[in-house]
Amino acid sequence: MSDRSQLISTGKPFQYDRERDAEFERLVKRYPTRESMILPSLWLIQEQEGWISQEAIAYVADRIGTFASMVYEAVTFYTMYQLHPMGRNHLCVCRTLSCWLRGKQEIIDYLKNEIGITPGQISEDGRFSLEEVECLGHCGTAPVVQVNGEFHEDMNVDKLKALLATLK
Amino acid sequence: MADTIKLFVNGVEVEVEAGKNLIDAIGAVGIEIPHLCYHPALGADGNCRMCLVGIEDGRPPLVPACKTPAQAGMKVLLDAAHIKKIQRDVMELELINHPTDCPICDQAGECKLQDYYMSYGRPESRMTVPQVQKSKKLDFGCGVVHDQERCVTCGRCVRFCRQITKTGELGIINRTDDARVNIFPGRPLNNRYALNVVDLCPVGAMTSKDFRFKQRVWFLKKAPGICHGCAKGCNITIEHNREKYQDDIIYRFRPRLNPQVNGYFMCDAGRLSYRQENEGRLLEARLSSQIRPLSDVLAACNQEIERAGKIVVLLSPNCSLEQMVAVKTLSAKLGASLSGFSDGYVKAGDGDGYLIQDDKSANRAGLTLLGIDCTQETFEEAVREAQLLINFNNDLTRSYTDSELKKLLKDTKVIAVATHNDRLTAMADIAIPVATSSEYAGCLINCDNILQAFALAVSKNQQPLDIGAIAAKLGSPLQSRAEQFAELRKYISILKDFEADTLPAEGLKLNDSEAANVTA
Repeated sequence: MSDRSQLISTGKPFQYDRERDAEFERLVKRYPTRESMILPSLWLIQEQEGWISQEAIAYVADRIGTFASMVYEAVTFYTMYQLHPMGRNHLCVCRTLSCWLRGKQEIIDYLKNEIGITPGQISEDGRFSLEEVECLGHCGTAPVVQVNGEFHEDMNVDKLKALLATLK
Repeated sequence: MADTIKLFVNGVEVEVEAGKNLIDAIGAVGIEIPHLCYHPALGADGNCRMCLVGIEDGRPPLVPACKTPAQAGMKVLLDAAHIKKIQRDVMELELINHPTDCPICDQAGECKLQDYYMSYGRPESRMTVPQVQKSKKLDFGCGVVHDQERCVTCGRCVRFCRQITKTGELGIINRTDDARVNIFPGRPLNNRYALNVVDLCPVGAMTSKDFRFKQRVWFLKKAPGICHGCAKGCNITIEHNREKYQDDIIYRFRPRLNPQVNGYFMCDAGRLSYRQENEGRLLEARLSSQIRPLSDVLAACNQEIERAGKIVVLLSPNCSLEQMVAVKTLSAKLGASLSGFSDGYVKAGDGDGYLIQDDKSANRAGLTLLGIDCTQETFEEAVREAQLLINFNNDLTRSYTDSELKKLLKDTKVIAVATHNDRLTAMADIAIPVATSSEYAGCLINCDNILQAFALAVSKNQQPLDIGAIAAKLGSPLQSRAEQFAELRKYISILKDFEADTLPAEGLKLNDSEAANVTA
């Protein structure tokens, strides 16, 4: 684990766009307490901005009506929430047992040689960012790569090459 | 006494109070179950695992004592090898990333981690990897300074802010060995009870900016007292020390448990009111701004009293009951009019329904019970007719501006019997220093009609007399605390069962008939 407590401030107030605003109001009815909205509303921020800023956390806390410290706890606990800007295409390569055994390292090595990024880095042109993640739950079709939330199974270097070409 | 049950601890039968968890129930009879995260006011959290005990009834091998209610016949196992191993292992875990900077840590001497390390295993560190580095002095606001490295992430401070003050400024950020307590950026501690987290912290992670590096805690002498900051009368421990060749100084107030008054906590303003005991004190008797021996000044007072036609005696609502009766009898003997006017002590709207009260005086209920008039009209009318005002430590600057005060007292001589050097003592013709609340013993009645006694806590190199003694020197027939207490019994019938120093520690709840038992 690493320290995720350093939040980045954009210096600008955050607000949901109209679509997320409506989604928030739709979801909030689902739960018996408003605190339950902490994780879904953080997902909405990440969907909208690609990452979660200090202002966005404060916005969500105030909108839910909970303590900012509580949202801060959740956002730093779960590594799936990005606390700094990512590349336009965020690649998550699973590194848990099945994917490891079925060649996730070849994928990582390819990305390192081809795009020049290692896990945790963003490519210079901002097109890609790479992260190694724990089990994505698709062990039967390992190795798996998640691109902007979409799953790509039974990956190998050739398929990855073709996939990357489609990403802007 | 509440219902009791019998259970077994390490095979020995003990009788404990029913309806409590194992830590509290067994702890009350003197058997310690070590714990870091549990606190009676904050409930069981079960995160520190230090209180794991065995229960020999077929349940899982180990259960957290904080979450286990004591039940009759329960067989609690504390000293088995596997439980000692758990305690030792938890200690080793807590100390992996602990900086062990006890020599420079304010908590040293009252640190749970230190105490438990000595009592439960003394594990040697087996770590070869570097320790996790965190922030060493975060200013959390409200005078709280946090050292993340010392923290054992028990979450007491976090739960205090969420459950008690409901302000929720603190959170535990990150996870695993990177977990740490922090505030959300730009939203620091902002509540009037924040310094309680310093007491709650079982280790030296939360320190008070006011107290840190001032004193090693083992030098502090601890005396029970009552906070005089407002009408609540929170029970406190007065922690003071006389350094070599110095005077006795109070270093801090800390809350002392009294379930029927303040529970475990106190407000920050009350906690920091210890400074007033040390600072700005009136130390010498003065006659027309000249420092003179107390005997000369008292003689001058008696001359003034003889010379004056009409006298007004003013009492502070912070005086003890004993002082009030002493002054009341003095006033009756002098034929003076007695007032307790102190509207300036009330800050309307400041109370919060928890501990902080609007009334910033400790014993207004005492004035009422003794039938002392407190209205502004009566006081002002009496002052206008009088040639002499004897003020027993009533801070009139709270009720009047300087110009109003000058106007009110333009034809009246003033004898100020005062603890502090303030604008009124500067204005007074005669000033007599007296003891503050930590320097005498007495009784108070709080806002809930609970009569509480406190003992003398601090003895100064030059101990000032208390108001009761000054009243006696000015002619009050009540010459000692015992006589004052005997006089008090006329007003509070329940006191016939007690002596001044045998009043119950938790206070006496006066019922309505006693509180209203006022001689006309």
